[in-house]
Amino acid sequence: MSILIDEKTKLIIQGITGREGTFHGQRMLEYGTKVVAGVTPGKGGTEVFGIPVYDTVREAYLKTGADASILFVPPKFTAIGAYEAMDAGIPLVITIAEHVPVHDMMSVYNISKSTGSRVIGPNSFGVISPGKSKAGFMHDKIFTQGSVGIMSRSATNCYETVFLLTNNGIGQSTVIGIGGDMIPGSAFIDYLGMFEADEQTKVIVLIGEIGGSDEEAAAAFIRENIKKPVVALIAGKNAPRGTSMGHAGAIVSADGTGSAQNKEEKLMAAGVHIAEGTEHIVQIIKDLRCV
Amino acid sequence: MMNSGVMCNMKLLEYMGKELLSNHGITVQKGVVVSSVEEVSQKAKDLKPPFVLKVQILAGGRGKAGGIKFADDIKGAEDICLELLGKEMRGCIVNKILIAQKVEVKTEWYLSIILDRLSKCPTVIFSSLGGIDIEQTAKTDPGRIVKIPVNPLIGVKDYIARYIIENSGIDGKYMEELNRIIGNLYRLFNEYDCTLAEINPLAIVDDDNLMAIDCKADIDDSSLYRHPDILEFRNTIDENPLTIEARKFNFLYIPLGTEGDIAVASNGSGMLMSCIDLITKSGMKACAALDLGGGATSERIAQAVRTIFKNKGTEYLFISIFGGITRCDEVAMGVKIAIEDGLKDKTVILRLEGTNKAEALKISQSIDGNVIDVKSISEGVKTLKSGRKNR
Repeated sequence: MSILIDEKTKLIIQGITGREGTFHGQRMLEYGTKVVAGVTPGKGGTEVFGIPVYDTVREAYLKTGADASILFVPPKFTAIGAYEAMDAGIPLVITIAEHVPVHDMMSVYNISKSTGSRVIGPNSFGVISPGKSKAGFMHDKIFTQGSVGIMSRSATNCYETVFLLTNNGIGQSTVIGIGGDMIPGSAFIDYLGMFEADEQTKVIVLIGEIGGSDEEAAAAFIRENIKKPVVALIAGKNAPRGTSMGHAGAIVSADGTGSAQNKEEKLMAAGVHIAEGTEHIVQIIKDLRCV
Repeated sequence: MMNSGVMCNMKLLEYMGKELLSNHGITVQKGVVVSSVEEVSQKAKDLKPPFVLKVQILAGGRGKAGGIKFADDIKGAEDICLELLGKEMRGCIVNKILIAQKVEVKTEWYLSIILDRLSKCPTVIFSSLGGIDIEQTAKTDPGRIVKIPVNPLIGVKDYIARYIIENSGIDGKYMEELNRIIGNLYRLFNEYDCTLAEINPLAIVDDDNLMAIDCKADIDDSSLYRHPDILEFRNTIDENPLTIEARKFNFLYIPLGTEGDIAVASNGSGMLMSCIDLITKSGMKACAALDLGGGATSERIAQAVRTIFKNKGTEYLFISIFGGITRCDEVAMGVKIAIEDGLKDKTVILRLEGTNKAEALKISQSIDGNVIDVKSISEGVKTLKSGRKNR
């Protein structure tokens, strides 16, 4: 099982002829991802390592019936790239660029509600179902197939956790980079139900941080709908108020909304195990004896 | 591609914000900005006295700190500028003063548009109790604050102003004017990628017209590439000098306080925050954080280490890297270059994991200075704890 992507997922790469698109396109193919098409305006009719390139996402979608598209395009072209993918009817759109203007993402988010597409990122490493498929630029060697489902707002905390899990012989079902931005295309709450329904996933890890209310929303959802054990780490307990620590999303407002304390309290009340750090996540999962 | 995660909001000074308001059809007091006493007579000669003088700093509470004063004539304005320019106020140096024509304010309202991350929409906020007490009102009398989300696919239409009038108790005769101002503020909010555009107070002045007396605007850093006019403002704003220095090298430097002696550097802000949390939990204090971003070369790492130790209180540097794009050997080499060149009295704790880790270890062990390799974040924190005890 696993969620979002697997060995059957047909992926389009927008920006496939660019430096990053070509480099990571090759890595994805090597990993086993079914890359079916690339899109670069003006390069339609050409090929990159045997993959056909089209001028538009619509054409690529009509020719291949792709399930997902990943955008290896600069931040200033991320919104337009996402619009094109959503407008073509691609159900899963993965955005990875850092520094996408927040107004652009506000617009992408609100349009995705009307097209019904699911958007991951931006400021995300993408998504990986270890051993099956990856759509992103993550260092796949640290991932192993298994039964821990992970979603994270931070790439570094996520890598660290995956690395420690793998070193302890614990694999992962699907790992999702939610992204560190103020308005991500999707949040924890959008994936909790999928992990709950996924047979491969035995435990869910949620790596959050200060700012926003996505962790609080997740807590309310977990309380009502999730039976599998959930482990959470909230980073930024000691970050200065009103200052961004580099994740635009990680700002606590003066009235305490979005504080780590509030998030941990709500999650704990929903029965979630709270970890103090990445090493502690692994310890808790070992103690749970469910994987 | 994944370069440094420098990402936050740029705050505009009052006069910059007012320039934008004025350009978007919102009335502000006639005024000029001066940065020296000599400029006053020339620049203010077309203004009608009496004047209000306001220091242009990013800190709040200017009025209470003595940063807002009144003058009856040019001479009076010069005296105030002489007194306030160069002075430290609320942690900022006063470099600029706004001199404006004083107006008779009858009533003060509050109007803002924020980018609300919860609803993922712009939200218009209005209160008939504006001015300096708005934060108090928010706590004690939240019912007096009207909030209405704007669907970004629709934009601001006249029913927004109508809803505000309906719920705030203000006179319906201001409907048309309020509608026009909200529409213009929304246009500014979108054109300039604001996360906040605030007019406080929005005042009814002597002739019964609405005027923006003060304003705040926060602009999304990631959008600055499409606002060259705002980018120009940036370097005129008073900020931590190390933050400015780090920005030149595309790093994000964040001062955390004056108490601690430990700086933390990492290749991602999530890990930075986690490290600071673990340091604080074990009873120590971090004084600065630096986000290196991905793919830093040894020269840039050396520069980061130098910048970090320019802060007087910093004795320890904990570097935690999970390298993919960032190569561990580049990091170790950067530390070697910086430490061996005049920083041998400082201590660096190195936790390097990932690409070229073995080469990195060889380099770090060859460093002539206090550099300690650790295998995990928790070992790094323990090493810091025992190291500080032994000092």
